[in-house]
Amino acid sequence: MKKKLVGLVTIFLVMVIFAGCSNDSKTTADGKEIITMWFWGAPPEHQETLKKVLIDKYNKSQNEYELKIEYRNSVDKDISVALSSGKGPDIVYGSGPSFVIPLAEAGRIENLDKYAEKYGWKDRILDPIYESGTVNGSLYSLGNSLNTVGIFYNKKVLKDNNWPEPKTVEELERIMDEAIEKGMYASVTGNKGWKPVNENYSSLFLTHFAGGEKVYEALTGTTKWTDPAIIAALDTSAKWYKKGYLAGKDYTNLTFNESTQLLADEKAPFFFGPSLVYQFAAQSFSGDKAKDLGFMAFPTKDHQTNDPYYTLGVTATLSINAQSKHKDEAAKILDTMMTNEFMNEMTKTWPGYWGIPLKDLQIDTSDMPELSKAYAETIKNMVDGVNKGHFGYYTGVFLPPATQQIFLDIESIWNEQMTSTELMKKVQVEFDKEKEKGLVPPIPKPSE
Amino acid sequence: MRNTVNYFLISPALLISILIVFIPGLLTVIVAFTDWNGVSTTPNFVGIQNFNELFVDGIFWKALLNNAKWTLMFVTVPIVIGLLTAMMLLKRKKSKSAYQLIFLFPYILAPTTNAILWLNIIFNPVSGVIGYLKEIGIPIESPLSSVNTALYAVASVDIWHYWGFLTVIYLAALRQTPAEQIEAAYLEGCNGWQIFRYVYFPSIRPTFNIMFVMIIIFSFLTFDYVYLLTGGGPSHSTEMLSTYAYTFAFSAFQVGKAAAIALFMSFFGLLASCLYIWMSRNDLKN
Repeated sequence: MKKKLVGLVTIFLVMVIFAGCSNDSKTTADGKEIITMWFWGAPPEHQETLKKVLIDKYNKSQNEYELKIEYRNSVDKDISVALSSGKGPDIVYGSGPSFVIPLAEAGRIENLDKYAEKYGWKDRILDPIYESGTVNGSLYSLGNSLNTVGIFYNKKVLKDNNWPEPKTVEELERIMDEAIEKGMYASVTGNKGWKPVNENYSSLFLTHFAGGEKVYEALTGTTKWTDPAIIAALDTSAKWYKKGYLAGKDYTNLTFNESTQLLADEKAPFFFGPSLVYQFAAQSFSGDKAKDLGFMAFPTKDHQTNDPYYTLGVTATLSINAQSKHKDEAAKILDTMMTNEFMNEMTKTWPGYWGIPLKDLQIDTSDMPELSKAYAETIKNMVDGVNKGHFGYYTGVFLPPATQQIFLDIESIWNEQMTSTELMKKVQVEFDKEKEKGLVPPIPKPSE
Repeated sequence: MRNTVNYFLISPALLISILIVFIPGLLTVIVAFTDWNGVSTTPNFVGIQNFNELFVDGIFWKALLNNAKWTLMFVTVPIVIGLLTAMMLLKRKKSKSAYQLIFLFPYILAPTTNAILWLNIIFNPVSGVIGYLKEIGIPIESPLSSVNTALYAVASVDIWHYWGFLTVIYLAALRQTPAEQIEAAYLEGCNGWQIFRYVYFPSIRPTFNIMFVMIIIFSFLTFDYVYLLTGGGPSHSTEMLSTYAYTFAFSAFQVGKAAAIALFMSFFGLLASCLYIWMSRNDLKN
């Protein structure tokens, strides 16, 4: 019996040893330490831009480290799983501050306070964005780019149909009604393949119909999510959907890429979408068509403000893995990304994803192509708006994860599967639970 | 010595079973009673709170109902098509192999490939078949966009990829039917239906039973086509237990609740396994 037991244990140990003999080397052939970053599966031309502007530049700047970026289509899931097992890349890509909070509270990502002080990030980065990356007063993530939801429009379509650029919701609705009568889409957009697209529309209607101030009250707990103004905003979204203002019946059948193509093909006057859509527009608004693409802030209901009003968001966040052996170097890389130089170089060939949230934005558009110029202008206007406090909130950025998931169900209101009040009651229950757990990020206050 | 060799031979399978089946299974059960968010090192024990919350969650019941509808569709449509096709192929001498290859083709393609094919070539309202039909004036919408038809549209794609596999399995089983029984049945004057009912079907019953149970099990685990085609939408109309669990685990950071849903999925798999054992015993008795 004893022999059997010894035999079994030996076999088990041998197998475990062999299983553990994996190659975990993190150095290159020429002895450089590797710093890793995981990123979403960007198209090849964008990967090339990131290689030239970030990877090659950094790797040539010193001889000790080599930056490598892995492109993964399921980056959010991969990062959660890897970090929970104490692994993962040195630089952690996240889909927003609410994604970061559980990781920060579990000690999976590094407290960036000392780097913030060293590099002066607090002085350089827009306050609302900097604050949204903090957890219990300490910095854990940096927003890589500003993002807002607004109106992309085809200038030629508006001109050909004698439609003015809409300044009010009423004008916008009138143009969309006429477009439908002419057999066009009122606007194009869609969530095919990526349900979180819905967050753009829950955010849009909250910001521009309920108002940033009302949403601030709900986020800080001074009013309920069932507030009549919020319910009315969601009811309006359902009215718009049913009227066909959100891509008619094709909302679930279109991607952003297909939508920009339809806009370029003059099948619709508008595309309500996030400013990051500029990165998809390069394919469809190429050559002479590039000058036809316009972007404007979404008008607010009842002309609450004459100034442009923005839904405040970031496209992604960047953090440092708490297990990284090269935290200082990772912070140095993050710092190079938080600069005007990086924004200008990236935007030149990759508009839409690198609107660095800097207070003192210095954009040189002199040698930028048409779309990059337009994007740079959009971000500059947004920074002005945010500095004036004219903003509402992206649900994916300022709401905790489970509450955000309920907001993605806005389409249930549109399809009459539930009422706005029922949805907001669910939101309130989940929001209260997550607020109690400290999962709500700091909320910047908009101007009154 | 012989025993040591035996242990050595079974040790890889045993180790794999322990490491990737037993331990994760046990952890899933434990996690279902916690509020673990997937990254925290200190999850709290919350008793049956996850289950209580699921019981009052309308989307959970909708997902369960969708899984039941899905199972019902899969234990009827592909089985009927598969059996019919297999019976027709049985009589074909030369073209049998070619047909099998053609019918099996969607099954050997990756689900992602099939999903992209259907999304972009069939359902696409701009460039797909739907788009073309709209262009020539036929008022048609993609079935994926309606809460009333999306589930059936997704199931149709999955059935399209799956029925060929059933055909091949049934055909292989049908070919094992003893030729003398078939000849005797013909001599007794049986018609086609009677030969199928009293000769072929009893002969393939073990294969039929195991495939029936496997379909039930896979129906409660189904994920790929739903996730790829609709992600559970629109408005949860195609939500399955698996997609709902995925959302909890990877989007809402509620792994405890996802584990609770996974236990429900396992429970239905267990029920299907019990059904198979019961059917096998009955077969042996008869």
